[in-house]
Formats: sequence, C-alpha cells, structure tokens
Amino acid sequence: MADELLRVRDLSTRFFTEEGQINAVESVDFDVRDGEVFGIVGESGSGKSVTALSVIDLVESPGRITSGEVWYRNPDLADEVRDDDPEAVDGDYVDVRQVPENVRRALRGPSFATIFQDPMSSLNPSITVGEQIAEAVEVQRRARSNPRSTRSRTQGFGLTDMLASTVLPGHNYVSDESKERAIELLEQVGIPDPADRADEYPHQFSGGMLQRAMIAQALAGEPDLLIADEPTTALDVTIQAQILDLLRDLQEETGMSIVMITHNLGVIARMCDRVGVMYAGEIVERGELEDVFDHPVHPYTQGLLGSIPDLDDPAPRLQPIEGNVPDLIDSEMDDRCYFADRCPKAMEECLSHPPEFDVETGEPRDEKTAAGEHGVRCVLAQQEFDPSRALPEDYFESDARRTSEGARDAAAEDEEVSADD
Amino acid sequence: MFSPRTLRNLRKELRQSALAKIGIVVVVVVVLVAIFAPLLAPHNPTNQTLDDSQLPPLGFSKTTTETSSEIVNGSVEVVNETVTVSAKPKYPLGTDALGRDMLSRVIYGARTSLLVGLFGTVIAATVGVAVGLVAGYYGGKVDDALMRSADIMLAFPSLVLAVALVGLFGRAVVRLPDPLVQAGIAPNMPETFALPGTVIIVVGLVNWVWFARVARGEALSINGEEYVKAARSVGADDGFIIRKHVLPNSVTPILVLATIQIAAIILLESALSFLGFSGTSLSWGFDIAQGRDYLSSSWWISTVPGLAIVLTVIGINLVGDWLRDALDPGIEGEGGGV
Amino acid sequence: MSMGRFLLKRSVQGVFVVWGVVTAVFALRYVTPGNPITFVAPLDAGQELREQIARELGLNRPFYVQYFDYLVSLLQGDMGYSYIQGIEASKLIFARLPATVELAVAASVVAVVLSIPLGVVSATRRHEPADYAATSFSLVGISTPNFWLGIMLVLVLSVQFGLFPTSRRGIGLAPAIGMLVTQFDFSGLVNWLAHITLPAITLGTYFTALITRLTRSGMLDELGKPYVRASRAKGLPETLVRYKHALRNTLIPVITVLGLQLGTLIGGAVITEAVFAWPGLGTLLIDAINARDWPLIQGSLIVIGTGFVLINIFVDALYAYINPQVVH
Repeated sequence: MADELLRVRDLSTRFFTEEGQINAVESVDFDVRDGEVFGIVGESGSGKSVTALSVIDLVESPGRITSGEVWYRNPDLADEVRDDDPEAVDGDYVDVRQVPENVRRALRGPSFATIFQDPMSSLNPSITVGEQIAEAVEVQRRARSNPRSTRSRTQGFGLTDMLASTVLPGHNYVSDESKERAIELLEQVGIPDPADRADEYPHQFSGGMLQRAMIAQALAGEPDLLIADEPTTALDVTIQAQILDLLRDLQEETGMSIVMITHNLGVIARMCDRVGVMYAGEIVERGELEDVFDHPVHPYTQGLLGSIPDLDDPAPRLQPIEGNVPDLIDSEMDDRCYFADRCPKAMEECLSHPPEFDVETGEPRDEKTAAGEHGVRCVLAQQEFDPSRALPEDYFESDARRTSEGARDAAAEDEEVSADD
Repeated sequence: MFSPRTLRNLRKELRQSALAKIGIVVVVVVVLVAIFAPLLAPHNPTNQTLDDSQLPPLGFSKTTTETSSEIVNGSVEVVNETVTVSAKPKYPLGTDALGRDMLSRVIYGARTSLLVGLFGTVIAATVGVAVGLVAGYYGGKVDDALMRSADIMLAFPSLVLAVALVGLFGRAVVRLPDPLVQAGIAPNMPETFALPGTVIIVVGLVNWVWFARVARGEALSINGEEYVKAARSVGADDGFIIRKHVLPNSVTPILVLATIQIAAIILLESALSFLGFSGTSLSWGFDIAQGRDYLSSSWWISTVPGLAIVLTVIGINLVGDWLRDALDPGIEGEGGGV
Repeated sequence: MSMGRFLLKRSVQGVFVVWGVVTAVFALRYVTPGNPITFVAPLDAGQELREQIARELGLNRPFYVQYFDYLVSLLQGDMGYSYIQGIEASKLIFARLPATVELAVAASVVAVVLSIPLGVVSATRRHEPADYAATSFSLVGISTPNFWLGIMLVLVLSVQFGLFPTSRRGIGLAPAIGMLVTQFDFSGLVNWLAHITLPAITLGTYFTALITRLTRSGMLDELGKPYVRASRAKGLPETLVRYKHALRNTLIPVITVLGLQLGTLIGGAVITEAVFAWPGLGTLLIDAINARDWPLIQGSLIVIGTGFVLINIFVDALYAYINPQVVH
C-alpha cells in the first residue's frame, strides 16, 4: 500500500530505572497514511506519548528504544541512504531506526514535526517567540542548502557566538529572511499583529496563542508528519476547539499527516480518521474510527467509551473502569492479558498473553492474511464471553497476595505513610 | 519532628548515595573527637617541649643545615653540617615551633570549630528566623523596614564585618571547665576549655540574614494558605499562628540551611583565628597562621590543621547535600565560604 | 517597565542602602568599647592633653553634630584624616583600592572562565570521568578555606619550585600596561602576572567551585525541561540546544546566587590580601582596626559597602537583561 507515509512495526521502548525495567511501549504496530489523522488514545501512563517520542527518536535517558522498525516513505531519502545502508531501504521506504543518528536527526523539522502538551514550558522563556520560530526556519533552510552536512546547520554559530549568546539576547543565528518567514507563519496560524507579537516573550502570550505559535514553529520545516502530543490538554475548552479547527485547516492546506495523541475521546471522534487504543504499552485495538468507536471489541475500549457521557443517549450512570493502569515494571508483568485484572469479562484464556486478532476473520492477525482494518488484542475477537470460564472476581487480588513478599512490605510501608501524613 | 515520608526519603537517599554515607561518617568522627578530646589527645596540646620543636610527622624527615665553628689547628673553621631530623613516634603528626604536639592540637581544634559552628549557627538561626517570620508574616512596612536593614547588613561582607566587630569589641573568651578532666579521667589535659565568646556572637550576628531570607519566604508562602486564613478568622492570635503553623513548615529549609551554615561558620571562624581575631589559641586557623613563619622548614605546621578543616567542612557539606536532595527545600547553595 | 526605569529604581534603593551603611558605620564608633583618644594620645598624656586632642579631632561635640558634619564632608569626598598617619583617609583608601579591585576582578575572571564550561561539561557528560572530576573539584573547592589554599600554593609553587613570588603586589596593572605601551616593554606585565597569579587562584577557587556546582545542577535541570526536547524536535543541532537555550536559562539562577555571594568575594579578598601581604583595602582595614584609626576604619567600610551596592546593581541589571521576565 503506497499511500502509507509511516509504518511502525514491533516498536518497543523500555526505561531502565532504579525500580526496575519499565516496558513503556511494547511491540507496537501502526500505520499512518497520507493526509490522514491517526489517533492514539489511552489513559495517562499507557505509553502513548513515549510512542510518539520513539518515532522521532527523542526518548530520553533512562529510556531506550529496544527494538522495532519505523518505515518512512521518502524517495529522495531512500536514494540517498541506499548506497550506505541498503538494509535500511525498501523501495521508497527508509527504516529510520537503521540509519545513522545524524540522518535521523535531520528528519526532525522537514519530515517529522512535533507539538507538545504544554506550550508554556515547551518554548524557551527567555527568547522571543519570533526568534524561536525563526530558528526552526533557519535550521531547515541551512539543511536544505546542504542536506548531508550537519555542520552547515551550526555554521555561523561559532564559539564566540556561543559565549555571546549566553549573555546577550541571541540574534546571531537566524537570518532576516528567517525572521520574515517566522512572521508569515505566525500570520498563517491566526495570530493577530504577527510582526509585533514576534518580538514578545512566551510569558506575554496566552495559552491558546502560544499553542498557535508552537504550531507555526512546527510548520517551519513543511513537515510530512505532524505529531501532536496532547495539543489541547492544557487549554480552555473554547480554545481547544479553535486549535483543533486550525490543525484541520492546516492539514487540508498542506496535505500533511497528523498523529494525534490524546486521552480525550472527544478529540479523537472530532479529528481522526483511524485510531489506535493503547493500554499498558500496547495498542489493544485499532482500526477505522467508526469500527473502533461503534463496534468496540476490547472490553477496555468498551470501558473507555462507557466512561464518557453520551449526549444523544444519556445513560443513567457513567461506567468508570475499576482500578488503575499497571505501572509496567517488567518483573511484575505476568504473561497474561495486561487488562485481565480490571476486565469484567476476564476468562481463563486471558491468563496467556493474547496476540492481535483480525476482528473480521477472528484469526490472529498477519500482514498477509489481514482481511480488514480492525484489529484487537483480545480473545473475544475469536470467541464469545463464557461465564463458566470467567475468573473469580478476586482472582488477581489473592494472586497478588500469594506472590511477592517484597511487594507486601512495600505496600505496608506505603500504608504507614498515608496513615501518618 | 519529621513525617514518616520525610524519614523514608532520607533513608532512600542515604541508601543510594555513597557520598552521604561518607559525610555522615566524617561528621560523626569529628563530633566524637571533639567530645572526647581529653581522652584521645596523646599530649596536653598547650605543653611546650622546646627540645622537640618542629619535629616532622611520622614517615617524614627533614634536613637542616647547622652551622658551627670549631678551632682546628689553631684557626677557626666554619663547618656546615647537614642534620637529618627524623620523626618521633610520640608525635605522629609532628610538633610545632614550640614543640607542642600537632595531633593533640588538631584534636582540640575540632572542639573550637564545632562549638563555634554550632553556637554561631544557633544564634544566627534564632535571630534570622525571628526576623524573617515577623517580616514575612506581617508584611507591609514591618517587612520593608526589616528587609532594608538586612540589605544594609548584606552590604558588608560577613568576614569584613566579623573582623571589624571582633577587632573593635575585643576578643573575649569564656573558660569552661572540662568535665572529663574534672572527673579525673584525663589528668594531664587542660582543666578548662577556652570558648571564644565574641567570635561566637559575631559569627552568629553576621549570618542571620540568610536565615531571615528563607524564613521570610516560607512565611510569605504559608501566609496565603487557607488554613492560616481560617485560623486568623476564628481569632487565633498571631503568635499562636506563627508557632503552630508557620514555624513547623519552615523547619525543613531552615535545617538544610543550618547545615550549610555550620560549614560556612567553621570556615569563617578559621579565617578570624588566622587573622588573629579570635582569643583562643587552640584553633585550626590559629595554627595555620603560626605555621606560616616556618613554611620553608616545617611545612606540616600549616598543612595539618588545614587538612582537618577541609575534611570537616567536606563532611558537613556532604551531609548538607544529602539533606537537600532528600528534603528538597528549594533553596540555592547559600551561605558562603572564606 | 523599561530597563532604564528598572535601573533608576535600583539606584535609588542603592542610595538609601549606602546611607544606611554610612550611618551604621558611624554608629559603630559609639557602640564599641574603648575611647579612640586612648589609642591616639601618648600613654602618659594628662587630662588636659587628652581634652586638647579631643577638641582637635572634633570628638568633644555632640554626636549628632559629628554625624551631620561627617555626612556633609563625605559628600565632598572628605573622610577625615587618619589618626595615625595624619594623611587624608580618602587618599590612603583610594591608593589601596586599585590593588583590591585588580585582585577581585582577576579572581572573578578566572572563576567565570573556568567554571561555566566545567559545569556544562559536567552536566552533559553525567556519570563520566569528566563529571566525577568536576564534582569532586567543586566539593573540595567550596570546602577549602582560601587562606590555607593560598599558603599551600606558596608552599608548593613558591617555596619548593620557586615559580612565583611568595607575596606583595609588584607593579600594578596600569603602570605595567603603561610600560608596554610607551616602551614596548613586557617585563612590567610579566611582573604583574607573576604577582597576581597565586592571589587570584586563591581568591578564585571557591567561586570556580561554587559556579561549577551551580551551573551543573542548573544545566541538569534545564536539559530536562520540555522546551529543550521541543528544541530538539524542531531540528536544532545539539550545540544550539545546549549553549543558546539551556545555558542561558541556567545562568539566570546562577547570577542570582552570585549576587548574593559577592560579599564572600570581597571578604575573601580581605583575607587573601593578608596571606600575600597584598597592599589593598583589606590589609588597610585590618591595620586600621588594630590601631583604632577611626577615620580609616569608617572610610574603608563605607568604600567596601558602597562598592558592594554598586556591583549588586550591576548584577541586577545583568539579571534583568538576561531574564526578560524581570523587565517585561
């Protein structure tokens, strides 16, 4: 399928902390097509943001991408890379995980751009907004003039500039053309008086205006893919709608694809063409928006949808999902369905880790045999819920009690704290 | 005083940090040395044995040239003789110019440093916290007046101010009887211990501003809290609110600051003693000054007490880092060295 | 608020602090024990001679008259005459001032030039040997009394190896530059450098260690912030991310603490001068205190306090310049 811009396969990211290895993203597959909005939805802690950071290779220590392929369609890049890394090229696609780091870095901006959750902390407080956008323009301009050289992007920013810019407000990196372009971009995202506002600092902007500025900055490299990580979470409801509309308009204008990461099902329903539902580091259900939202198979998806009010059919009670997202520590992850402990339909089959099933055929999913879009990591795709095989309600509680001594000690210590604090 | 969560953070940070463990060990050792100085010191630190002057520490020797004249065959000849002076096991760290045992002096010096550091910090904290709490709690004109006077204080570097005050007020000393010697356990040791009184008061008074700043900040932030407003609305008087609500919340940052301040005051005390503004001669800074005149012949007289200061202050700073990392009071590395 | 108004406001505050400093210094004479005449008059002076001396020094007038008189003279640059040397106190003080300024500036330059790169390297190569070296150095540096460090430098570099002179100032910087310009003679500059090296290291080490520590922890903080990740995401090279973005924000709290620590720099200068017999304000002040030479004590303290206030205004201006949130 040539209309896929990005094919992510078996992507895993782990954090190596003092508490142990945390499997934040585990064997995630998804595709992003040209000009579509692909949504990733899940509770906080489900690994959706780390998935996004893994695609653009910005996972920070102690995190590390431990496996996976990120195939990105870019014929020019494929030609460039083919001679040096034939393994990393497949037709027009390049596996950005296999190319050298400097090539991968050079993709940030012109290929993949990102907007983050909190625009106030995602912009440098001591540099003007215009300057920061102009930087993004400048770095792409330099990269275009000499794509293979990393040095060209730092040229004109020598040791003296480095020292000077720590003390003086730095205007020595960006050119006048980049500044003008930055003002155009601010205008494009609907900021009034862009020329004046470019000279202001982030703290002089409102949250909504700042997120527009962040979007302008992301547009600087004319990216193929925009990753929007909770772009509206920190904003007022009315502003949220404006920002979403802006993203929609810009996408139509530029034809870029968007990966929309959010915990807000309303945003998904409003924006997305296709969606992946994440739970405990895995995509547990994915497919066309209509399939997933109207015919959810995974009890987790059903639970998520049951936990938002439906204005058309006000149910007497919202159904919250009991319990919390597991904390993903490797040593504590049993080989079972990770949702089983919270699942109202957990059965004995759920005690072994389910593969991804094709909802249409009910068979384990395989790239070649997949009949439909709709995939789910739940045995319910294959069989009906059988109450006779259901696990007793307190199964995991007693199980947990039986297992580790250490966990109980830790829990006891926690109790002591909460009792006294 | 601490919540269980705080204690758990302290334990956790301690488990993870080897440096914190080293710091605690050093501080505990120095404190024990200071307390049991009369038992640990091999000699009376003030006893002069001129025959044994300027002896090197164990493992070192020194060569001096002695010039003598003899009459050989009726004429006077000047003979330059190279003499090697070797260490005596009696004096493991050597002796000073008056033949006093360096080890004993270093052991007794720990007392002066720690007592000045401790008492000075207590004075600084008491004055500073009182001023800071009042300024932060009442705000307005009271705050302005107190903080402007703090600005004037800050315009004088603490060492300059301390030198001026000690120099002008005199170097008063309080002689405390040494309980261990009184009890007859350590017969040959000095009967009293000279505490440099002026120095203690002065180092306390020149360092209160740091505490005032921290306490004021805490008072300001707590002032806006609902429970303080609530307490006020039911008519609790100011003293009660300050004691019951504001002060307990300031304990953590003040404790961390106090740790750093003990180190800073020890450095300040050593500087004052070095400059001769102290009153007691049993002080590391004083000995460093003594040794300067013999730098080319007897390097250890200045070196040994200096190492003692560095080690002690490193230990306290490590403990301070540990407390800061574990308690996270959000203050910068204030205080100041010499 | 514009930068100009900000500076004006700080300057007005500064004037009041200086006035407070003058008042406090003047009051010092009345609260300290000991009559200055005792120190000035001969030991066998009778009552009459003592009264005559008091009259000559103006000490017999009510204190508010003396205070007002002192303020007025001070505004005209007159600090009175040294009791001991009989010379104008201001002359003595301003003759010594350049030596102290030279020393403090040299130490600050050493500290800033060494510490900021050290802190950055330490933060960006966390848990590598360079980081361990830098953190160990900074821990030892902030724990070492500088007078002892000075003596140790003298012991090793001057006494053992004879590399530097053990004490005194030699030729000042201004005459040394004069020699270079007029006679194209480098020997003055070499002499100046030889004399100032050890004192500058002695005074600068604590600050190098302190700024290294602050820069490291600040840089670690900044590098973990979302805007750094966002800068990387927009394709900025790491050099710019670190030095243009993170370091700049790191320096904001560093400057704050440095402003608070300036007193330590001046106090450190006093004791460094004592170690190296450096003819600056510090040695002048200590001698004056020992001799109860009040005009000199008051004058030096006022000059030191005023200098401190001025540097603080400069630091505030720097802070406002680098941190737009202060002014805007």
